[in-house]
Amino acid sequence: MFGKTVSYGLLWDFAVSEAVSEDQRWILSTMLKHGQELITMLWRILGNEQDVCDAYQDTFLQLAHYEGGQKPEHVKAYIFRTANNVAISMLRRRIADRRRLSTAIFTGKHITSPAKELDSKYLQESLRGCIAQLPEHLRNVITLRDLAELSYTQIGRILGISAATARVYRCKALQILTMWMGKEEEK
Amino acid sequence: MTGINKNNKCRRIRGWLSEATSRHFDPEADWLQNHISNCPRCQRRLVSYGKVNLALSVIKSQPHKLDLLMCANAQAIGVLKHSLRKAPKTRKLKTMLPEPKLLERCGKYAHSAANVAACIAILLLTKIGVFSSMDMFQTQGQKVIKQYYASRVGDDLADEIFPKDTELSVHPKNLVSLRKTLS
Repeated sequence: MFGKTVSYGLLWDFAVSEAVSEDQRWILSTMLKHGQELITMLWRILGNEQDVCDAYQDTFLQLAHYEGGQKPEHVKAYIFRTANNVAISMLRRRIADRRRLSTAIFTGKHITSPAKELDSKYLQESLRGCIAQLPEHLRNVITLRDLAELSYTQIGRILGISAATARVYRCKALQILTMWMGKEEEK
Repeated sequence: MTGINKNNKCRRIRGWLSEATSRHFDPEADWLQNHISNCPRCQRRLVSYGKVNLALSVIKSQPHKLDLLMCANAQAIGVLKHSLRKAPKTRKLKTMLPEPKLLERCGKYAHSAANVAACIAILLLTKIGVFSSMDMFQTQGQKVIKQYYASRVGDDLADEIFPKDTELSVHPKNLVSLRKTLS
């Protein structure tokens, strides 16, 4: 009797999960529609292909499990915000790892030289590091505007703010980044 | 209704203001350049701002592998539910390549389109200019002829030949009779 109940239960679970999967076809459509934009944004935030694939996978996994497989009201906003958060977490982890490694190898001060200043990789990594340290509301705007190249109206819709506020946040973010990049140069 | 109108007006004015401000605070503006050349603090700020811009441009200009979208799609589909993995759309997603946006695709024709537009504009301006000059030439010529006839045969006859309401157009019959009178 108990065995039968368990097997019916399993069958029911399977049927329900299949029905949910049938309804989740919109995930593939979302991937088809926004995949390219997401990849561009993730690539610019992370600059590493394996990390991009991991962040992309995490984003769609979170989308598939959103409130038990329900479709969010604003799918685009959801995936862009999730991808942004996932990528920034990965970036922070990477920066922390690198710092730990560099302190283990070089116990002295950072070596700066004009050649290093002109090194595009160094420049990119310092900007990424600074972006990762920005407050969330400013960081979201700068990544969506400058890295994902979305319009202020689209950013406003994604973040639930007005386009004018997004403009102000970007201006503020640029001021902070300028200050931090300047300080980094002085180090 | 008035609220909507007011909002629209506000939006328009905000746009103009931001345009005006950006024009006023153009980094190339003379007053700004003059100040920066004498202020070491602003020089440092400008250098840092340039550095941020440069870094952003470098990040944007870095291309990724062509198959990155394909790989990312394949990896993401791999963790989805079985029935989704078997859906027909997945095949397309797994072989998808990045495509340039419509604007980028049309970008290569922008130069030729601008040239064509410039040619059309020049043609239109020439045409308008030529025709208006011809009109003016004709009107001035008729005025001179009217003055000539007025001095020879008197104002009354000249007004009859060149009536005011017909914009100085001369009827051929009148001209023939005038010639006869003059001869």
